Amino acid sequence: MSMMQLWRDYDPGEFYDELMHDQHQPRHFSYKLLDYLKSMRKEAFEQRIVDSELEILERGITFTVYSDAGNIDRAWPFDIIPRIIPKGEWDCTEKGLVQRIRALNMFINDIYNDGNIIRDGLIPEEVVLQSKGYRPQCKGMQPAHGIWAHICGSDLVRDDNGTMYVLEDNLRVPSGVAYMLENRKTTKRVLPELFKLLHISPVNDYPSHLSAMLASLAPDDITHPKMVLLTPGIYNSAYFEHAALAQQAGLILLEGADLTVGNDGYVYMKTIHGLERVDVIYRRIDDDFIDPLVFREDSTLGIPGIMQSWREGKVAIANAPGCGVADDKVIYAYVPAMIRYYLNEEPLLPNVPTWMCRDPHQLQHVLDNLADLVVKPANESGGYGMLVGPHSSEEQIEAFRQLLIDDPNNYIAQPTLKLSVSPTSCGDHIAPRHVDLRPFILSGKNNYVTPGGLTRVALVKGSLVVNSSQGGGSKDTWIVDDSHFGGLN
Amino acid sequence: MLSRVAERVYWLARYLERVENTARLINVHTGLLMDLPRDVEIDWFTLVTIFDAEMFYHANFEQINENNVMQFLLAEPNNPISLLNSLSAVRENARTSLDILPEETWEQVNELYLLVKNEMAAISNRRRRQQLLLTIMERCQTVWGILVNHMSRNHAYHFMQTAKHLERADMTSRILEMTSLLMAENRSESMRAAEGILWTHLLRALSAQQMYTQTYSSSVNADGVLTFLIRDEAFPRSLFFSLKAIGRYLWPLPQSATTLEHHQKIMSEMFNENLKELPAEMIYTRMDELQAKLAELSSQISQKWFHPDRSVA
Repeated sequence: MSMMQLWRDYDPGEFYDELMHDQHQPRHFSYKLLDYLKSMRKEAFEQRIVDSELEILERGITFTVYSDAGNIDRAWPFDIIPRIIPKGEWDCTEKGLVQRIRALNMFINDIYNDGNIIRDGLIPEEVVLQSKGYRPQCKGMQPAHGIWAHICGSDLVRDDNGTMYVLEDNLRVPSGVAYMLENRKTTKRVLPELFKLLHISPVNDYPSHLSAMLASLAPDDITHPKMVLLTPGIYNSAYFEHAALAQQAGLILLEGADLTVGNDGYVYMKTIHGLERVDVIYRRIDDDFIDPLVFREDSTLGIPGIMQSWREGKVAIANAPGCGVADDKVIYAYVPAMIRYYLNEEPLLPNVPTWMCRDPHQLQHVLDNLADLVVKPANESGGYGMLVGPHSSEEQIEAFRQLLIDDPNNYIAQPTLKLSVSPTSCGDHIAPRHVDLRPFILSGKNNYVTPGGLTRVALVKGSLVVNSSQGGGSKDTWIVDDSHFGGLN
Repeated sequence: MLSRVAERVYWLARYLERVENTARLINVHTGLLMDLPRDVEIDWFTLVTIFDAEMFYHANFEQINENNVMQFLLAEPNNPISLLNSLSAVRENARTSLDILPEETWEQVNELYLLVKNEMAAISNRRRRQQLLLTIMERCQTVWGILVNHMSRNHAYHFMQTAKHLERADMTSRILEMTSLLMAENRSESMRAAEGILWTHLLRALSAQQMYTQTYSSSVNADGVLTFLIRDEAFPRSLFFSLKAIGRYLWPLPQSATTLEHHQKIMSEMFNENLKELPAEMIYTRMDELQAKLAELSSQISQKWFHPDRSVA
């Protein structure tokens, strides 16, 4: 049986489809991909899926799910049908992402120093102070190049008319980039023919950009800085990523116990030669755990005294402590204003329309329309603690109503977007499944944006939850040069 | 290089060598038992005694038979040196050293682990088991091939080679302990009749038969085998070769002087006497002593480089 038949039954319905113009016609940039996939025999296609699963298992690409039954190492869920974004569109998205992270970094630097944006009345001080990521211990710090959020993973979504929105800015310790790299490697191994048909922007130079960015942060203008990746250890859900990035970017992978702060205030690692100085730390543990002398006393993951070293400019830390202040769903609502304020530019990428429950009028609107809205707590990640109105029961909605009335400042609401879909292989058929996109943006002396990023896909029919901890999968994401394709979109 | 990383690659290499040696020993021993008459003093349990694991065995199994011994040496979770436990230690250490090992190392190790784990259900089937053991040996050699051909000669490499030769010397000395059975004054008539097979077996357990034959174009005999496995300077699994290699790889490590002295002492104590002329039971004692000295050397390495007392700058 040929795959043609399966594709004949494919129907994206009312949603914007990443690959299909309508039920039967591919978008101009996905013709070649679709022609190829349709020409395969069903058995051959299924064999490629088996190959990709085996590949992932043998390469040990896993993430950890914490559950009552203990921690389970799960194979990384991967769908072999890639998602395509035409290069023309992506170039604009990329500019928008850089613009956004520039404004965010200027904002963070501002609020820990002069506080101009508060004084000029654009953002109320209490909004900044309510952010769980705000760290008074960071006041007065001026990190290299004025950059705080060196690595940002923004979540982008598309609605039913195809507009790409920024859903959130992950500034603390965003994860996923190693999975993006692994997805491309897997596609290259199981569908190598496609790379002959299309020019797909390569993603595999991310580690060298990461390494160059980190080197640009080194204190005292050191030319060959010692750079390390600080991981909470093997039981962290993203340990695979920590190890893979360290290996590929030439960082020393270590844990808090491998580091110590000397009497001279510099940070040292414990080596077979004795103690060696460390210049740049790419940390993959939260602020809270980084220094028991300054933040959580019970942290065994951190290094006592490291905050002092950082404040004295003796070590660089990426992302800078305190940068999570801007990774907050209330602050998010102000990002377009920040862009206008700091850069004097119009935002190139729109925010999802957002109601701030701290404003009584907006709260009233939210309470009146709860069943149609998505309500999010200001400071949660991974899709936890939120209400998706249209998918919730009467009781759940009423419970949230009470939460909103009790603590309006902690919530924002957004319309339920009709997220775009992309063809996904689901057992014996091809079906539309909702997707988002997480590109990664590096900021040091220069900026770098990954071409594409990590596409996450909600594998359950109708579901909007793409988080891998909650049953989401992933896709390779292709930025394809469409300048010579012409034709319809 | 981080102390903790040094410790991990050291144990990775030791366990990797142990997995290969265990697989080979069991594979060869199975072949030997097919050739021996039933009343010989060598049986399945001999394998357990080679590993000094009698206590663990009796804690887990009542009867001594092929199935139980194989279960114990290959799969038993309560046996700290079962092949699967060793392989799992290789895997955990490889997984936490991804950043300094050639990337294929982890893929190969992980693949091997998954394969062996799946096949463990079938080890009571002698044919499948022998096949699995051969595969394990091949895959271990693949991993070493990757390390030797893709890794810079840095300290991680030096630690791994030190560990490999230390583990190898330990295994060779254990197999040489079997000579006390082969040379015992009161050994049985069947044993005497099977002498040729048995000495060949010793060589094969260390994959030494071919090189032995090339070196001594004579038949296999006690004198020759002992000299070859203990003192040969060119064969990479002889005691002399392994011990000398340990010194060679310790040498470039930082502040290695005291450890090298210790190593030198082991070398001279070992090779200054002519082991050939020792009575059989003395060989057994010497080998036992050597294992203790190697264990002490290993803990000295650990103290010096993995867990030193540190003063803060």
